[in-house]
Amino acid sequence: MQGNRVIGEAAIRAGCRFYAGYPITPQNELTEYMADNMRRAKGGIFIQAESEIAAINMVLGASAAGARAMTSSSSPGISLKQEGISSLAADELPAVIVNIMRGGPGLGNILPSQGDYFQATRGGGHGDYRTIVLAPASVQELADLTMDAFELADRYRNPVIILADGMMGQMMEPVEFHAPPPRRYPECYVLKGMGQGKSKFIRALILDAIRMEEHNWKLYRKYQVIAQKEVRCETFWTDDAEILIVAYGTAARIAKGAIKRSRELGLPVGLIRPITLWPFPTQVLQGFAARVDDFLVFEMNTGQMLEDVQLALGNTARIQFYGRPGGVIPTPAELAKVIAYQLRKK
Amino acid sequence: MNTVENFEIYAPKLIEKREFFSPGHRACQGCGEVLALRLLLKALGEDTVVSNATGCMEIISSAYPHTAWNLPYIHVAFENAAAVASGVEAGLKALRRKGKIADRYVKSVAIAGDGGTVDIGLQALSGAMERGHDMIFFCLDNEAYMNTGIQRSSATPFMAATTTSPAGKAIKGQRTGKKNVPEIMVAHNIPYVATACPSYPLDLMNKVEKARKTIGPSYIHIFSVCPTGWRAASNETVKLGRMAVETGFFPLYEVENGKYRLTIDYPEKRRPMADYLRLQGRFRHLDPADIAKVQELVDKEFRKLMHKVKTSVPWS
Repeated sequence: MQGNRVIGEAAIRAGCRFYAGYPITPQNELTEYMADNMRRAKGGIFIQAESEIAAINMVLGASAAGARAMTSSSSPGISLKQEGISSLAADELPAVIVNIMRGGPGLGNILPSQGDYFQATRGGGHGDYRTIVLAPASVQELADLTMDAFELADRYRNPVIILADGMMGQMMEPVEFHAPPPRRYPECYVLKGMGQGKSKFIRALILDAIRMEEHNWKLYRKYQVIAQKEVRCETFWTDDAEILIVAYGTAARIAKGAIKRSRELGLPVGLIRPITLWPFPTQVLQGFAARVDDFLVFEMNTGQMLEDVQLALGNTARIQFYGRPGGVIPTPAELAKVIAYQLRKK
Repeated sequence: MNTVENFEIYAPKLIEKREFFSPGHRACQGCGEVLALRLLLKALGEDTVVSNATGCMEIISSAYPHTAWNLPYIHVAFENAAAVASGVEAGLKALRRKGKIADRYVKSVAIAGDGGTVDIGLQALSGAMERGHDMIFFCLDNEAYMNTGIQRSSATPFMAATTTSPAGKAIKGQRTGKKNVPEIMVAHNIPYVATACPSYPLDLMNKVEKARKTIGPSYIHIFSVCPTGWRAASNETVKLGRMAVETGFFPLYEVENGKYRLTIDYPEKRRPMADYLRLQGRFRHLDPADIAKVQELVDKEFRKLMHKVKTSVPWS
């Protein structure tokens, strides 16, 4: 199945019953899949909004009404959605936002890129908030992480971003869907007509400075818990590696190819692949730094995750960077050359 | 009545020979939008600055490092063609006032597709028209988001099948009718609003010329046949445009200072919608009862328009 469609199918299976979309390449297949299949899902609603801003705010509304809600877009559209994502974080509402990244800045192009790393991991919109960021590197993982994303969103009542790129979205691979666990979430916030009891209240405008501070610290404590519990990371051929590549998503796939080539030539190289970009697997990297001196950060941008790696390792290791921005897809052979060069230099 | 002055009616031999939109662009076979664009740029002439929202016309004409534009051109995001054109107009005015540029009349023009006009661009468009900038806004309406792969927009007609309004047993494609944006523009009390179709080239060019001579904001809604998205034969573009006009589905009219005027004569009995729908794959799922429903809707809209043509009076 194609990556974009897999996200749609996984979301429906995970109990997503509201999807609002807006056309933008390269994620259109997801919107189309939802238009076709949301009707089949029991009680599913598909809406094509009049803009990205409308789509994210529809998701905010659906989430406040208690539905599992999702929206998707690509880089320029995600920029428009930031106000809504910031509101979702402030209101503590669960939602899943899919970003199928393309080249930027501005309208850029429609080819795969990883230029939205900063936007996704630093909050993106205004204010003191964080979103959980998942970076799948295969179509199977698109399915699994989409299902997990709904779980995480409900558990922490926080927006979750699935950060894939045009290549992930367009790629076709066999996929197996697992049965997701039934939805458990505290219904205390859901707006559903007054009935008995007190009226509920969702808001993000807190004019009183002390109250606002309290709210910020409350969110901060939540983020601390997420940072402790939800870090995910994959390691590949790291046992005897003398140089470690740090890459995520499509770049990590390319890196795996390059590592296989290099290993055939007897070069000791391994991979660390963060699956959650926020929270970032800082401690995993620090653990390796005790043994390995050389790290090569490989991204399809001009060096964004690089900063997180530098923050994690400080001066304890030598950090090199290799990147191709703007929608260029580097080949494993190209990266293998870079690896060989770095090892020769050592 | 304050009509446009010094207005010359176009005849084939008066048409600009130069091409401002050069051949070699990447449009599909039989693209009605490119046809409209080529004609309207000829009518606008060289003293023009084009602000073009993302859409088919941008993708096919400006893939770096190539360009089909022989005019000053800026490509902007999807939602803000009208806002950028406002800025261009205000900037030119300021520079002219300071004497920094030659004192000649340069028209600021915004071009957007139907998505960039009726959906995401409506806010910026309404703002620009309300502020009264001296500019023209062209909507090249092909009735869906064709550039991203045929998704419905609010300009998609009733019961048309698109990838996000698929036709099935229960729901037969698009569930709502076409949003009447020319009417919304008339409600802004701007001096000139018109509808046009490249199947009527001289009519289209006359309207563009009139808009260019108008001081203040004007809006032209151009019906552009898209054979790719409508699942129609690419050699029937002009025919489909003519049919849309003849059936009264897309009547050609202009509104000058609030006064409606049809620019084409309609016989008592218009061509039936069935003729028009039959030629397009996006209406393939319609049965005779559905066609009757569509016909009814078109008749209703046409009656409303005829009422306005008869009763409207110019407000200046």
